[in-house]
Parts: sequence; C-alpha cells; structure tokens
Amino acid sequence: MDIFLQACVNGLLMGGFYSLMGMGQNVIFGVMKIVNFCHGEMLMVGMYLTYVLSTTFGLDPYLCVPFVAVLMFMLGAVIQHTLITPSLGTKSFTNLLFLTVGLGLLLSNGALVIFGSEYRTIPTAYSQTYISLGPVNVALPRLISFCVLVVISVVLFAFLKYTTTGKQIRAVSQNPVGAEVVGINARRIYILTYGIGTALAGVAGALLTGFYTIFPTAGASFGFRALIVVVVGGLGSIPGAFFAGIFLGLLETMVALFISPSYSDLIVFITFIVILVVRQMIIIRRK
Amino acid sequence: MKKMIALLSILAMLLTVLSVPAMADEEPIRIGTIYAMSGGKAAIGENILRGIDFAVKEINEKGGVNGRMLEVVRGDHAGDPAQGKSEAERLITQEHVDVMMGCHMSTVTEIVAQVCTQYGVPMITAISTLDRLSDPDHEAMDYFFRLCPLNSVYVKDMLEYLKDSAEQTGEEVKTIAIFTDRAAIGQELIRCVELYKDEYGFDLVATVDYTSDATDLSAQVLALKQANPDAILCDSYIGDATLFVQTLKAQNYTPKMIVAKANGFTDPAFIGNLANVANGVASVVEFNPDLINGQEINEEFKAEYGVNMNGHSAESYTVVWIFKTAIEAAGTTDGAAVRDAIAALDIQGEFPGGRKIVLPYDRIKFEDYDLAGEPHYRDNIYSSVAIAQVQDGEWKTVWPFDFTDTKILYPAPLQ
Repeated sequence: MDIFLQACVNGLLMGGFYSLMGMGQNVIFGVMKIVNFCHGEMLMVGMYLTYVLSTTFGLDPYLCVPFVAVLMFMLGAVIQHTLITPSLGTKSFTNLLFLTVGLGLLLSNGALVIFGSEYRTIPTAYSQTYISLGPVNVALPRLISFCVLVVISVVLFAFLKYTTTGKQIRAVSQNPVGAEVVGINARRIYILTYGIGTALAGVAGALLTGFYTIFPTAGASFGFRALIVVVVGGLGSIPGAFFAGIFLGLLETMVALFISPSYSDLIVFITFIVILVVRQMIIIRRK
Repeated sequence: MKKMIALLSILAMLLTVLSVPAMADEEPIRIGTIYAMSGGKAAIGENILRGIDFAVKEINEKGGVNGRMLEVVRGDHAGDPAQGKSEAERLITQEHVDVMMGCHMSTVTEIVAQVCTQYGVPMITAISTLDRLSDPDHEAMDYFFRLCPLNSVYVKDMLEYLKDSAEQTGEEVKTIAIFTDRAAIGQELIRCVELYKDEYGFDLVATVDYTSDATDLSAQVLALKQANPDAILCDSYIGDATLFVQTLKAQNYTPKMIVAKANGFTDPAFIGNLANVANGVASVVEFNPDLINGQEINEEFKAEYGVNMNGHSAESYTVVWIFKTAIEAAGTTDGAAVRDAIAALDIQGEFPGGRKIVLPYDRIKFEDYDLAGEPHYRDNIYSSVAIAQVQDGEWKTVWPFDFTDTKILYPAPLQ
C-alpha cells in the first residue's frame, strides 16, 4: 500500500510536467492549428536559460522562472513573427512541419555547440532535501515545482476565460475569419499565443532544473509526451491537456508498478494508439 | 657564381646520400596509433595519447629500445571504421610503422586488427573490451593481442568484489538486482551477469531497465525497493546515473551496495552533480590515482599534463612498455619475430628496466584460454579491474584488497 501511494505521488508530480508541456502545445494548436514540433527543444532552451541565469547572476533556479518566462515569450514572439506567420499563409502543413522540426534540430545542435554535450545540474542548498508525508517521500524541488505549475495552470485558465485578450485568443481559435471581422488583429494573437506556448515550455524547463540534468537533447522525451497529452486530452483543450498530463504520469508509474517498468513506455504508446483509434471510430459514427 | 651554386648543390646531394647509411642505425622505431582525434570522441583519444607519449618520453630518456628511439605516428579514425581501415593502411604502407596500437571503439579495432594481420604488423589494443575480438571467429587474427580485461571479465570482477566484500562488511551478499539501460550496454551487463551468477551463487531477484535519458526513474527505483536485493549492479549513461541516485534518495531507498560498470558513474560530472549524495556508490575502474602501484606514476603524469592519469592513459602507457620489452627480446623489429616475442612474454611484477605494472594486477601474459566455455585467443589472462568507491566525494580504490589500504564504506550512506 505504501508503495502504491508513493507511486501515485510520483506519477502526479511527473504528470504535472506533461500537463504543462501539453497545455503549451495546445494553446498553439488551438489558435493556429499547427503542431509545434520544437516544443521539447523550447523546454531545453528554458533549462539552459535557467542554467545561465543562475550561474552568472547566482539566482535561485525558482527565482529565474519569471525571467525565463519573459525571455522565452520574446523568443517565441520573434519566431512566430519572422518564421511561422509567413509560412501560415502558404496553408501548407508540410511546410510548417519542416519549419518546426528544423527549428528543433537547430536549437538542440546550437546548444551542443555552445554548451557541449556535458550533463549539467544546478545544485542548490535544498536540492537534496526530502520530505516525508506519512508513508510517502517527496523531493522538495519536485514538490515546489509541482505547486508552481499548478498555479501557472490555474492562472492560464483564468487568463483565457476572463480577460479580454484571453477571449480574443479563444475567438481566433474558434473562428479566425469571424474574429477578424469583429476587429481582432489575428496576427497579434498569433504572436501572443506562440509566445505563451513557448513561455510555458520554457517554464517547464526552468522548473525541471531543480532535479533533472540539463543536456542538449533533454527536451526530446518531454516533447514527445506533450504530443500524447495533446491527443489524449483533445486538441485545443486546456483543461483536457491538464488532466491528460496527470493521467499520463499516473499511467506510467502504475504500469511500472503493476506490470513491469520495462513495459511502461510500451503500454503508454499502446494506450495512445487505442485512444486515437477509438476516437476516430466515434467521430465516424457521429457523422 | 652559377658554377658555385651547382657545385654546392651537388655537394649537398652527395652529403644527403652519404648520410643515409650513417643514420640507418639511428632510425627510430615507429609506433602507429589509431584513435579518434576529431569528432565527438576526441577527448577520449587525448587521454590515450597522453599515456603513450608519457611512456615514449620515459623510454627515450633511458636510451630507447636496442639503442633506437621510439617515435609515435598518429592516425585519426574519427570514430569511423572505414576511416580506421584507410588510416591503418596509410600508417603501414606509407609511414612504415613497426607496431600498431588502437583503437578506442571495438568495431574500429576489429577492422584495424585485420589490416595489421594482413600486413604482418603486430598490434596490441590497450582498451578495446568487446569480448568477440578474441573469440573463435577471430582466431586467425594472429598479430593482434589484448591487454585490457574483456567486458565479461569486468562483470566477473564486479561479482568477485561482492563475494570478497563479506570479508570487510561481515555480511554475505546473496541476492543481486540489475538496474540498467535498455540499450546495448544494458543487454551486455545482463548477459554477463547471467553467465556468472551461478558460479558465485548469487540469486538475481530483479532486472530493472529503462530507456536512455529517462524523464523519471521513480518506478524503477520502487521496483528495486520491492525486490530489496543485497546489492545492485548497474550500467548507465551520466544523465540517467545522476537521476538514478537522486531518485534513490527521493524514494527513501538506500541499497546497501551499488556497483556500477563505470560509464556514467565514473564521469567527472557524476560527483560534481551529486556531491555527498554519491558517497558509497562503487564502480569498476581500470586505474585510480590511489592504487598502490599507480601513486608514483600519477604524480609524475600530473606534473606533466596537469590532470590525473586515468584508466585509458594507464593502459596505453603499459602497452608501449610491452612493445619495448618484446622488441628487445626479439632483437629486431621484424613483424613475425616481434609477434612471437609478445606471445612468449611473461611480465611478473615489473618491466625489465621499468616500473612495476601500474594497473590493478601484477602479471601480464597473452594466452589462449577458455572463458565461460568459449575459447579465446591472445588475451592478457591476468588482467583485472579494480573497484573504487566514492568516499568523501572522491573515488577511492577498495578492491582488490592487495592494491589499496582503503576499506569499503558499508552500507552505502548516499549522503
């Protein structure tokens, strides 16, 4: 039972990251209907930004989070404005696919050139602190990260639901032409959403540095899981992505606990495919 | 004036021609080396070449080999077997090397050894550990010798250490578990443990694996915790090794013994990343600066290069001395004669006119033998690894007991 509880907590804590990644991906998809294939690399960039900020200025990794968010937002905005918006006009999915995949390769190889292939960590006074909550043990950095990302998710949700800009974003995602007709500047919204998406990935990266190693291809496995989260949670749905992320984290640990750690990836992917097929069948039946 | 120049040039030409026979006696013995000097593995090549240069300098300062100096001719395989092959051919046919050393990657070593055998140039590998290089398929590669232990010997020594540890810890190891990467390195560890566990009477209670660069290892650690073995054997790359030890802490599980097959665990970043949490983790090492036989050479090496000698530099250093001893015994650099001399070599304790063997064993002899029921050819049958343990944030040799004064830290504190 203790092990079961521990596994639940582990799954929850890891799932939080998948959620954050999935939500970032979903914000972008919801508005522009493009899959951002360099989402994982944006997480990696966030990690290195945190690393640079904390080693040069001696900042605590968690204090870096707002700076990383702003810088990543700016990076995302620039990429959107200079690269993605022009490609959107071509209405070619392959064009955007190659663009984002290529951008991801550029970023991870860029990091390799700048930082080398070493695995880095940011040691802090509390990085080896562990808390016992009854039978369950939690690493303090994981707990802090989880709390921060829950707050971010709630804020994001509220922002989209209640603010004017949030409403504009939702309007563009539902009907871009209609939104332009009522005077919403769609281009501005595109920049905003891609910026928010990248910032979310960057923040996920910053929050990971408390207990994960930093290396040029660190984003790959998270980027891939973000795609699963998006598909399972429903394309474009923010709460869907949040719960799908938690579900994925729990699924991984539960499979590992009840079946075998060797099969956890395998079963996650099988579940992913099953959900895709079932959903497709439901859609066909509805038609 | 023109006549003068013509005369002078003829004179100069004559002098060159005449001086050739005079220099022939002094012509250096050429050692070809083929390692990665460019590409992602260049750092490894650098450590190897330092060991070679250090030995060559030492030998030349003492008067060389049979009165001739040693000279190193470097080839670069850049991690590519095809380039390794063409470099080997270049070194042999154009640079006329007398003997060959290489390589870092076993797949490259294999192809270079074939070229050497074809041209009759003796070759010794200092660091290629792949078992298959000396198996029956390679019996005909009879100019090729191996100094370092085989992969399966690494694992055998890990088990030997677990068995011997009872002497210091007072608790016998009965159950073991494997924690490793799902990639080739992990499969190799599992294969070797399966091969020897019965011989040592260990019960393998869990085999837990993961995909490289795992996002989370808590499920794996929980599986190990449930199995609760006396010792965990592991092989991981650096990122996963770091995450593994952190996750052990996070899941409040402190295994009594963790023994790694080097790799990520001996990466300098491992202790750097984990600091005190790494205390108690043990790993296979080919050499460690605190080895009783290695302390002296390490001081001199460090004075020369500013870094500690590592396993690769120590093993390459030793190979140069083997060549020296064999060429002196053969009295010539003729390929076949040197090969026979290497095959007949039996170095016990120290090299004639040199130091004690700086590695964690005291005899070098290349022989044909049986390993786990399969014949192997021309390996150094006395080679073994040492086990080092992180104590106070530093790697300290703890096994073989004869080569160190440090005792095993038990159970591993991980703090």
